[in-house]
Amino acid sequence: MTAIDTSHDHHDEGSFLDRKGMGLWSTIWDWATTVDHKKIGIMYLFAVLTMFFIGGVAGLAIRAELLEPMRTSADGATTGVMINFGSPVQDPDTGEMIRDYTVTPNAAGNTFNRMFTLHGAVMVFMFIVPAVPASLGNFFLPIMIGAKDVAFPKLNLFSWYIYVTGSLFGVIGLILGGADTGWTFYTPYSIQTDADFWRVTLMVMAAFILGFSSILTGLNFVVTVHKLRAPGVGWFDMPLFIWAMYATSIIQVLATPVIGITLLLLVFERLFRIGIFDPSLGGDAVLYQHFFWFYSHPVVYVMILPGMGIISELLAVHGRKHIFGYRAIAFSSLGIAAVSFLVWGHHLFTAMSPLASMVFSALTFLVAIPTAIKVFNWIATLYKASIALNTPMLYALGFLFLFSIGGLTGLPLATLATDLHLHDSYFVVAHFHYVMMGGTVIAFIGGLHHWWPKMFGRMYNERVGIIAFALVFIGFNVTFFTQFFLGTQGMPRRYASYVDEFQIYHQISTYGSWVLGLGFMLHLGNFIHSLLAGPKAPPNPWGGLSLEWETESPPCAHNFHHEPLIKHGPYDFETVVPPHCSEQDFPLPKQH
Amino acid sequence: MMQEAADTAQAATEAVDPLAAFKDPAISLIEQSEQFDHAGGPVEELFFRTAGQNETAVFTDSLFLLTLWFSVFFFVLLMGLMVYWVIKYRRRPGVPAEVSPSHNGPLEILWTVVPSSSMIIMFLLGFQGYMQKTVAPADAIQLQVEGQKWDWNIRYPGGEQSAYFTSLGTKINAVKIFVLPEDTPIQLKMTSKDVIHSFWIPDYRTKMDLYPNRYTTITFKTEKLNAGEAYRDHWVFCAEYCGDLHSQMFGVLRVVSRENYDKILQDWNTGNLSPEAHGEVLFKSNCVSCHSVDGSNNIGPTWKNLYGYERPISGGTSVVADDTYILESIWNPTKKIVAGYEGQNMTNFAHLTQEEVSAIIAYMKTLSDKGGAAEDAPVEGENEESQESTGG
Repeated sequence: MTAIDTSHDHHDEGSFLDRKGMGLWSTIWDWATTVDHKKIGIMYLFAVLTMFFIGGVAGLAIRAELLEPMRTSADGATTGVMINFGSPVQDPDTGEMIRDYTVTPNAAGNTFNRMFTLHGAVMVFMFIVPAVPASLGNFFLPIMIGAKDVAFPKLNLFSWYIYVTGSLFGVIGLILGGADTGWTFYTPYSIQTDADFWRVTLMVMAAFILGFSSILTGLNFVVTVHKLRAPGVGWFDMPLFIWAMYATSIIQVLATPVIGITLLLLVFERLFRIGIFDPSLGGDAVLYQHFFWFYSHPVVYVMILPGMGIISELLAVHGRKHIFGYRAIAFSSLGIAAVSFLVWGHHLFTAMSPLASMVFSALTFLVAIPTAIKVFNWIATLYKASIALNTPMLYALGFLFLFSIGGLTGLPLATLATDLHLHDSYFVVAHFHYVMMGGTVIAFIGGLHHWWPKMFGRMYNERVGIIAFALVFIGFNVTFFTQFFLGTQGMPRRYASYVDEFQIYHQISTYGSWVLGLGFMLHLGNFIHSLLAGPKAPPNPWGGLSLEWETESPPCAHNFHHEPLIKHGPYDFETVVPPHCSEQDFPLPKQH
Repeated sequence: MMQEAADTAQAATEAVDPLAAFKDPAISLIEQSEQFDHAGGPVEELFFRTAGQNETAVFTDSLFLLTLWFSVFFFVLLMGLMVYWVIKYRRRPGVPAEVSPSHNGPLEILWTVVPSSSMIIMFLLGFQGYMQKTVAPADAIQLQVEGQKWDWNIRYPGGEQSAYFTSLGTKINAVKIFVLPEDTPIQLKMTSKDVIHSFWIPDYRTKMDLYPNRYTTITFKTEKLNAGEAYRDHWVFCAEYCGDLHSQMFGVLRVVSRENYDKILQDWNTGNLSPEAHGEVLFKSNCVSCHSVDGSNNIGPTWKNLYGYERPISGGTSVVADDTYILESIWNPTKKIVAGYEGQNMTNFAHLTQEEVSAIIAYMKTLSDKGGAAEDAPVEGENEESQESTGG
């Protein structure tokens, strides 16, 4: 009951990765000018993983600085004394010169501030937002709906170049010394700081340019889903990953222009003093925050919805179970997308009027409900399933654990009285890392393992994958769970130094970050090993039913040799033997 | 270094000072907080260490804990089911998944309604607590809070400003102590002089942002002191990122008896002080976080031997630090920046009146060899000055 019949293969197409005898330069030129969504997806994958690495190193550096309550200088000043900003001074008692550090004024603090700005900006704008849609989405969205490519292939390549240009702006800003504004670029600080330098402007321009890449990808996906579904793929025959990508794309298209305009205004304010956000020129600093979060809250769902889509696929395929409440999950994706535009104010509870705060608090609780429904549905999917505990499935289960914590700790932040205490504390830091990293990144890594054989035609080492998962899972919890206690006890965000009583939690958190980093490095090694020496992947190693498993691994240049005919839904595991698989490996239950 | 200087300055007056106990006491805030009521059970202890210090804070804590136990219940339920099913239904070769329904109407309605109704309760309680923290009772004392990089200032109703500060061990320069009367509702009316700051008092479980060009308010009631307790200190942290020394923008709220509160405010009243003494008070409440008076370097140039000396100005020129130069440097600091301090961007202190600036100048004169006669020029001091400037 497979959808395509490969015995009548008239096209003699090799895999899309096949170099067809081309030399090195021809191959590079071929990739650089490709309009194949699969190659673009892989180029995006390498780009976002590079950015994840840079952002991750910055994150580890932040944690390393916070081992000690006092600021340390980048070149290793001793601990326990306040760093001396300037030249040596004479000790009044002994007459000797003390605290002889060759630190320029404020170097240590600025390094820390630039580091967390770098970490935030890179992770948000250059990694998490494009991570899943632009890499896995680009690669699999057309295949999963039976299309040959996205609707606008050249636009797709263009968006990759925009992404690279934007990232280069960020990297140049970084080489020039980096910005110290925080990734949120709050005014008036972002207008005043570093006034003689271009690096803040470069960082803001980077985010501005990256927005266009995001809009074009979103636009492409919306049109592709509407117009290019293969015959027989109705809206409710689409895998839930596609629903999630569709909801994500709508947010990207609608919200990103707002941040574009806002960031452009910010650059104008810095360069020309136009007086929109700068109070000393009659501007309004709160206005900036409204503009900023009008994009940046919906974009939280741009980050998490694709992750949720991946989880639906992983649980269904590796649990061999029809996803519980398919329509509820599909509609809750759209519901989340719609409500996400109405909750930005919860970032401003310490800045708004009581009436506005009340309204936004209520709306924020509203967005929690579709999210809760999704989690219930996922757990219910496990009931009477056949669960393979491989790396993708472990990541899916890890997602449910971490994302539940992330979601539940959002409740005291939506509650006004508790938010006035927890706002801008480490509680918030822990909360959004549980959602963004415990949610999106965990889902992304899980999805990467799930689709890796399909993308590259090679299997990864399952045992190493599981060990690395364990390291990531444990390291993540040790790093971030401690930060909930820091937050409630009174530790503010973005502090380079802190009072002694918080040290033990910071130490545990930093040790956790090392385990976390180790886990990711192990995954990286596993992937590299797979590319070089991994065993060849069969077309359908997991017994999946969605269309990407019908074609070979890696897929041919046009995805399918024939236009696929749809004879079953993506989750009909109870009635359909998966393509390229035997019933012996994936037995069907007895029907009543 | 700076606090040492400040300590010596204080030491002279402390000998017969009845208020000495309130000035930079030896006991640290951490040790002191150990004497507070503890937060309760082990979970409360882990999250809060010490109990909320007023009714609103206690309400907030119980709301937090209510949400926490609600969350723990659902989390354990969900994860318990997950782990149980993962073990029970783990894949066995040749064994298919059992047939099961793919949706269940009543169940789905149930798990929509239960969280929804719980959230209505959380929302309402949260709003109730929020109103307690933002709407001040009519009898509240209103204090003006001003934030600037990287210091807090509070002006009391009579115009008094804090002149006490604590060094908190050796770690942080000159954290200001603000006294508050016990068992009294307080309203803070806040604004910022430069960028956004946020006034967070973890012990009262509340915070509010400060903006340039607008006022924001928060309100809280101070706690009652125990019998025999002279005062109780609470941290104030800046919670909104504001630049380089954001993580040292601290303050201490010191709750004292009403009687002592009045005495200390009298001590801080500058009306009957000599210009020099008034200048010193202004120095402590405005300048001490960036400038030293003992020749040591800080964010800004030291004030020792500043008045009357020739100052090297960024760009190669120099200027003699006379009254006009100092006035300009206070009201419009970026006009002439001392060489070596280009990156520091001192915020302007235009709110200081001419009389206050004159008092500061009078105080500066006491710190300078040339305070009395600006025409002398000791060569030794000149060298020292230029060394520090280039090093800074």
